[in-house]
Amino acid sequence: MRSHRFYTPWLLMLPALVWLALFSVWPAINTVTLSFTNVHQLTGGHFIGLKNYWLLWNDPHIRDAMINTVVFMVVCVPLLTLLPLLLALLVQRQIPGIAFFRTAFYFPVIASAVTVALIWKWLLDDRGLINNLAQSMGFIHKTIPFLTDRWLLLLSAVALTVWKGLGYYMLLYMSALGSVRRDLHEAAAVDGAGTVRRFWSVTVPGVRGTMLLVSVLIAVNAMRVFSELYILGGRTGGVGGQDVSIVMLVQQAASGSDGRLGYASAISVFLFFLTAVPLLFLTRLNKNAQEES
Amino acid sequence: MRRTTAVSAIAVAATLLAAGCGVGSKSSTADATKTVATTAALSGSITFQTWSLKNDKFTPYFTKLIADFKAAHPGTDINWIDQPGDGYPTKVTSQVATGSLPDVVNLPPDIAHAVAKTGNLLDLKKNVPTLQTDWVKSGLNAYNYQDIDGGATFFGFPWYLGTDVSYWNKAMMAKDGLDATKPPKTFDELVAQAKVMHDNSGGKDYLMSRAPGLSDIANTGTKLLSADGTKFAFNTDAAEAMLDKYTQAYKAGYLPSNVLDNSYEGNYKLFTKQEVAWTTGGGNAITSMQKDNPSLVPNMVPSPALDTAPLYVQGISVSSKSKNLALALAFAEFVTNNQNQVDFLKLAPGFLPGTTASANDPQYSKSDGTPQGDASVIAYKDMQTAVNFTPPIWTDAMNTILNQEIAKAMTGKETAKQALDNTVNQANGLLTQ
Repeated sequence: MRSHRFYTPWLLMLPALVWLALFSVWPAINTVTLSFTNVHQLTGGHFIGLKNYWLLWNDPHIRDAMINTVVFMVVCVPLLTLLPLLLALLVQRQIPGIAFFRTAFYFPVIASAVTVALIWKWLLDDRGLINNLAQSMGFIHKTIPFLTDRWLLLLSAVALTVWKGLGYYMLLYMSALGSVRRDLHEAAAVDGAGTVRRFWSVTVPGVRGTMLLVSVLIAVNAMRVFSELYILGGRTGGVGGQDVSIVMLVQQAASGSDGRLGYASAISVFLFFLTAVPLLFLTRLNKNAQEES
Repeated sequence: MRRTTAVSAIAVAATLLAAGCGVGSKSSTADATKTVATTAALSGSITFQTWSLKNDKFTPYFTKLIADFKAAHPGTDINWIDQPGDGYPTKVTSQVATGSLPDVVNLPPDIAHAVAKTGNLLDLKKNVPTLQTDWVKSGLNAYNYQDIDGGATFFGFPWYLGTDVSYWNKAMMAKDGLDATKPPKTFDELVAQAKVMHDNSGGKDYLMSRAPGLSDIANTGTKLLSADGTKFAFNTDAAEAMLDKYTQAYKAGYLPSNVLDNSYEGNYKLFTKQEVAWTTGGGNAITSMQKDNPSLVPNMVPSPALDTAPLYVQGISVSSKSKNLALALAFAEFVTNNQNQVDFLKLAPGFLPGTTASANDPQYSKSDGTPQGDASVIAYKDMQTAVNFTPPIWTDAMNTILNQEIAKAMTGKETAKQALDNTVNQANGLLTQ
């Protein structure tokens, strides 16, 4: 049997490595590099040391952006970790017509951003469906300012994210639930465990790996929240920019023919480190749980 | 091994960091100020770029225009390309970054300013002796930037000029006790009539339907820039008073509650839907309304813009990196000469040529008796005093800040003074970054 040449595995990996280098490694290094310059879209620039980070520290919008981003993540992670699991438990049963519900729950995932924007703005507008309905039924006399109040807009963005993400994470859980042993459920039932007890003691430990994966994915996506807030709050990030997120600051800094690429890169680097914190926390949490069990 | 890898990684990162210190396209004005030899016969080919003008209405005009030029200059060829309306600044930015800016290009003053700063546009003053006599001053000034060569250069031929005309819905106004033939002429009169409409309709109808912007600040008589033109200084008492009036009107319900949020559709759209009785629009808005809501057209009454009308300019620039500068310059002059502009604007009523020969042409001051004809005459008259309010150093990012701060003031989160001070400070901060 002929032995493989040493470079054979590298050749096989080459396309993926080139792709990774071009579209992940190089942009990442370039972002860090740019963050120490005052490069603009068209006019170039030069090395300015840590000035962009100093500007970021003094940016009047960074505090709001950090609060919004972290609140968004803290609310989204538990909701999108647990709700899809419950949904998956509901739709994994083999009953007539269940395929319709699975499709219906997955539908928001494939809906286009434009459609989602139109639907949600129409729902939440001062003269939108929810306000009109609530007023006509006499529940409220004054419209609910979903799109103008800072926290209501943020919660509306959370609702939009949960609605749009439920189906995707439900699919991940459905696949994980298939590997939870049925005999464990039966044994627990024989021991007198009810539905809730079996959920926490059998189902949850059985899908813990998937739960960690889902929570990490949600945390990373939540830290990069942009489109949901842009859809509801517009390019200014809500009324007066009070619902701006960190990625929106990146977009605002870099856009236009006078876009500040250096400053936008500094915000991106800051976001990278900010994202690493919850990731490390979740990984640590899982490690501890595994050691305890 | 691990140590070697780490050292190599640091070395690579350091090299990239050093290389990155000069990243981005370099600014160079050397090409911009060169003199183009125009004595030899023209030959070769160039690319000509327009912005959203290749359609059933304008394509025949440009086809003939190019054919006429080629007939006058045998051996030349013009490759006409057109870019879609959306994302034009991004397109031009990428063209500059990749060195593929067309030889002759339609640029509004703000985009031209960004491109001129990179040295990619040719100074026309140095190459066109008749520049300041053949093209109107207000149009030329839009392409003259204080922060480039101290304002000694001009980077665009004025092509067509536009302004805002006020349009009123006479049926809505009559219903609420107002007369569209006696519309407001100033901002204060507008607020007064907005109150009448609000009170008489029980708060259901609106006259005002937009938050203020930079032009509203300028219309208070406030100079947007400091005397030396290097900093913003529009946080004046007059601007503060104007913003306070808007805030009071908003609180009193004279404007739709959603003018500050993302569900706001714009005053023209609201006017089209007959939810508000006033909008501003170009001199051709009635023609546009024929498509959007024909039933509204008989109710549209045009009047001059409130206070001082804004001036909107479109121009034709020449790329300083063109490999055939003589042909590019000749074609740009040809496109923007008086006769060709007059012919072009026959297709776009409500706009005015950017040439001095047409500026006082009596044909633009006579209405054909239709509302569109009246609007065109109003636009023509407005343009005699219209002002291009937006300084070229005003960027998208600054406009976002202004909108955010105005929204804070109108919702009571800040005073008008705080909002204006914050805007000026942040905008000035951006100038130095």
